[in-house]
Amino acid sequence: MARGGLPTRPQAARMLLAMAVSLMAHRAGAQVVDFDTTHTIFYEAPTLTHMFVYSPAVTLSATPWEWLSVNAGWEADVVSGASVAIKAGPAYQANHPGADVVTTASVHDFRNSAIAGFTLRKDAVSFSAGYNYSTEHDYRSNSFNLAARTETYEHNTQFELDYAHNFDQVCNRVQDATDNSPTLYHALENSVGCFTNSNPLRTTDDLAIDSLQASWSQSWTPVFQTQAVASLQVVDGFQSNPYRSVVISNGVEAQENVPDLRIREAIALRAHFFLRPIKGALRFMARLYEDSWDITSGTGEAEFEKYLGESFRVTLRGRLYVQSGAIFWSDDYTGGSAPLGPRGSYWTGDRELSPFWSWSLGIRPVYTLSSPRGRLLKVMTSLKFGASFDVVNPTYEQFTLGGVPIGGAHQLIGQLSLTALF
Amino acid sequence: MMRLPVALLFAWSVLACVTVKPQQRAILADPTMVFDGDPQATGPVRHAYQNREAAFGGEGVSGGGCGCN
Repeated sequence: MARGGLPTRPQAARMLLAMAVSLMAHRAGAQVVDFDTTHTIFYEAPTLTHMFVYSPAVTLSATPWEWLSVNAGWEADVVSGASVAIKAGPAYQANHPGADVVTTASVHDFRNSAIAGFTLRKDAVSFSAGYNYSTEHDYRSNSFNLAARTETYEHNTQFELDYAHNFDQVCNRVQDATDNSPTLYHALENSVGCFTNSNPLRTTDDLAIDSLQASWSQSWTPVFQTQAVASLQVVDGFQSNPYRSVVISNGVEAQENVPDLRIREAIALRAHFFLRPIKGALRFMARLYEDSWDITSGTGEAEFEKYLGESFRVTLRGRLYVQSGAIFWSDDYTGGSAPLGPRGSYWTGDRELSPFWSWSLGIRPVYTLSSPRGRLLKVMTSLKFGASFDVVNPTYEQFTLGGVPIGGAHQLIGQLSLTALF
Repeated sequence: MMRLPVALLFAWSVLACVTVKPQQRAILADPTMVFDGDPQATGPVRHAYQNREAAFGGEGVSGGGCGCN
């Protein structure tokens, strides 16, 4: 603060924040403000893409009264790397030896997402509502979500129902009037002019997503509880990658073309055990998934988290995932013997729609700092530091790049997090 | 026709017998035991998986944007 004068703008902001925290803390006399920030990086190699994503996120939530919590946040994805722009397979490669049948395009994107919501509580029931607005160079999303929870039998049984709806828009290329068949469609060259009306070759396609989830959590003993979850999602609209073309016959490449409607269902079961003698928790999750594109998948996760002292704990985790391919998936639509060959009126170069399996291993240490004699720095009740590192190893059973299988693919996920309770 | 309602009623009555007393819930409320106890940390990792797999579900429904690179 300037001596004898008015406070500067940063000083005034700090004073206002301190006053708000102190006022809310005084009213409730308990933890009322929760500040979280996470910083996650993702790197993938060596699949020609070398995709790197940095995802910062900040969340602030407050509980000024027992019956009300409010939250707001921001998260982003900063993306750089490359994507496969034209996909071909081994049959085409065999007929065109020496041709560069797989091309890549550089990708630079910045997803910004703002989140706000609130929760109302009364007795054993609570209702939550939230809103999320997200922008990318080529994608816009407005979504809201609603949740209702209740519990009974002395908190031992809990039910929750969640619903979310997305009103999304995807930037796409305007096709020539003579290109009246998807086999003639051209892929989007870049995102210049998207959502601005400044480029006559840009248009937008709608994508509506309805998601519904029901869960039942049950405490069975003082050290064992389970959770069963059922999920349903209906995706209706443009779902292709607008930038990607697929070679569908000799000399013909067309923009990726997948069905507009996708219905997705999943059931999941979680079980948590606490092992008192070693002061650690075992956590398991199993999930089965299927959708109307004929993809089925199974996921299994196991985690062991152990206290090493009062403030420090470490989680070791492993995950297995396996999926079948979409009914219209083919690594080469130009021909070849099964499983290659055309698949009717749809084609895709999306490896996430191909059959594959993956395993991953990870570690997450967490250290919580709290003061038994009062508040940290006079305002915080606790401060939590977290870090994690995961290695993912996918094995693609059919997906190739121009007939060359992807060998040694791996993905790395690292994260740092900080949580402060006031 | 009546089997399903009877089965549901039976299941509900069994749940009523499963009672962990409030004073026994300390471990169940521990951060290592709660379901989705650290969504800010697990969310971005799940986001990375979801963008590279076909599956969805069992992990919450909210979220916006593609972020699918």
